[in-house]
Amino acid sequence: MKEHKGKVLVIDDEAAIREGCERVLSKEGWEVLLASDGYEGLRFAETLRGELEVVLLDLKMPGISGMEVLERLLMTDPKVPVIVITGYATVDAAVEAMKKGAYDFIPKPFTSDQLRLVVQRAAEKFRLEREAERLRLEAARTLRDIAREKGRLFTVIECMADGVLVTDDQGRIALFNPAASRLLGLGQEEELLGRRLEEVVSSEELKIAVQEALAEEGYKVFTQEFRLRDRLIRAHTAPVKGEDRSNMGTVTVLEDLSYLLELDRMKGEFIAMVSHELRSPVAAIEQILGAVLLKEDLGERDRRLLERARERARGLIELVNKLLELSRIEAGMAVQRRELIQVEEVVQKVVELMAPQALAKGLELNLELKASFPPVLGDPQGLEGVFTNLLSNAIKYTPKGGKVMVTMGLEGEYVKVSVSDTGVGIPKEELPRIFDKFYRIRTTQTREITGTGLGLAIVKGIVEAHLGRIEVQSEPGKGSTFTVFLPRSKVVLPYGVSRS
Amino acid sequence: MAKVFLVDDDPDFVEATAVILESKGHEVIKLYDGDECLEKLKEVTPDLIVLDVMMPRLDGYKVCKILKGDPKYEKIPVLLLTAVAANIPTTRYTQLQGMETEADDYVDKPVEPEELVRRVEILLKRAS
Repeated sequence: MKEHKGKVLVIDDEAAIREGCERVLSKEGWEVLLASDGYEGLRFAETLRGELEVVLLDLKMPGISGMEVLERLLMTDPKVPVIVITGYATVDAAVEAMKKGAYDFIPKPFTSDQLRLVVQRAAEKFRLEREAERLRLEAARTLRDIAREKGRLFTVIECMADGVLVTDDQGRIALFNPAASRLLGLGQEEELLGRRLEEVVSSEELKIAVQEALAEEGYKVFTQEFRLRDRLIRAHTAPVKGEDRSNMGTVTVLEDLSYLLELDRMKGEFIAMVSHELRSPVAAIEQILGAVLLKEDLGERDRRLLERARERARGLIELVNKLLELSRIEAGMAVQRRELIQVEEVVQKVVELMAPQALAKGLELNLELKASFPPVLGDPQGLEGVFTNLLSNAIKYTPKGGKVMVTMGLEGEYVKVSVSDTGVGIPKEELPRIFDKFYRIRTTQTREITGTGLGLAIVKGIVEAHLGRIEVQSEPGKGSTFTVFLPRSKVVLPYGVSRS
Repeated sequence: MAKVFLVDDDPDFVEATAVILESKGHEVIKLYDGDECLEKLKEVTPDLIVLDVMMPRLDGYKVCKILKGDPKYEKIPVLLLTAVAANIPTTRYTQLQGMETEADDYVDKPVEPEELVRRVEILLKRAS
């Protein structure tokens, strides 16, 4: 057993005892320090304070007495176990030394086994005490850290200008800060903790977001904007994952965007103004042409030219409209409100609206709906725009006698809507660019077709704002199919949420 | 045939629209802003007023509100004209405003001659 142990100090005036101790204890792996009198021993104790694991102290020494050394030693290093060596086997001296704080005693003469044992026991005690002390300190530090961290976190959350709202896995309120209370118009904390969100918060959007986050299997942040009383609020809701990746609840951070309302109003006014200033002159031109075209005695060629001029004027108005729409989408305003939508209802409505156009061109327009589909979270106006654009394109680019077909399906987490036609199709090399702004395919077949080249850019913008995607398949001369994929909502119409 | 006030600050638009309405035999009185319209009402009572929304000073909404709030004029049908794209949601409120002013109908500029004529005739029929 040569493992390295700590330091043992032996204070004894008898050289034989010192050397005997040294021999026995070094073999055990101790580092043995020897002092031949009390003063020397105390000097060691002074310099090695806290390092000595055991002290062996002879009580009967010339000069300073063992008892006094013991007292001063324990003042210097109160934790160290001191074993007193009693020369004349008097229990009295040993008892007195123990009273003064010695840990144990060993009577002279002693065997090496006795020495080993008593030192071993003292060292063990020292080690255990030190370990206990270390654990106690560590626990205290951990507790202090937790307290400090908690306090810091609490202060951070309390002071945040943004609202913070935490729910548990059942959608019950677990925590909210003053900003959240102010933004959502919540009442006293003690009344609200543990209550269900939908009993307390009137925003449908927020309820849906929390439901979505709770149903979310991966990690996703649901961002929504909604109006609440006179405020505009943007809410970011995310699930909180436990160690097993199950949802333990949700955290919502609420931004106050009310100042944007004023900005929005000004922007709205500006757009309305630009829209008016650009459209008015063209509207006048169109109206004038319309008035002239009322004349019945126009020559055939003049009539054709004027009709063409009117067509172009209309195209210009369309262009202004689409540019404004696109600027809106690019400003992130494509999805201004989100509600649970049955896509088939939107598709049906658009197909009905476009039917007269298809009919006028001598096309067959079919809608195939075999089943009902899960709802999608989206902006109904925006989605209407998507399908209107796609159908309008299909009708435009399909020659008389052709077919336009709308079908719906479910693919994984997506509700998909396909608009197929038997039209002119798109050459393969053009496919990557058709969603670009102002990109139009120019062939002999499409030359007569007016368009802004913005329709598909708008469609893509809106679809992507819904976290969906659009795909296209086409074969020149045979037709094209545009398929829109919209992520299905995971909300199973929770309590208190009405489908609008 | 009917007597129609046509109020718009764009003289070209007024002229073209007048041609369209006159082609159906209506008598068109051309006016170029809201004040002129209110002034003219003191001497002539039309069967219908076609009123542009975006006009300087007294705009179409205000004129409409005045008319609908006055027992002397409230019966006269008003067709509001707007050059603001109806499909832009930020301007959707303009349509709602149009409804609040109790206009009898409203239509986006430019308007197909046939559509304008048809809307005018429906309003006249309803009023008689």
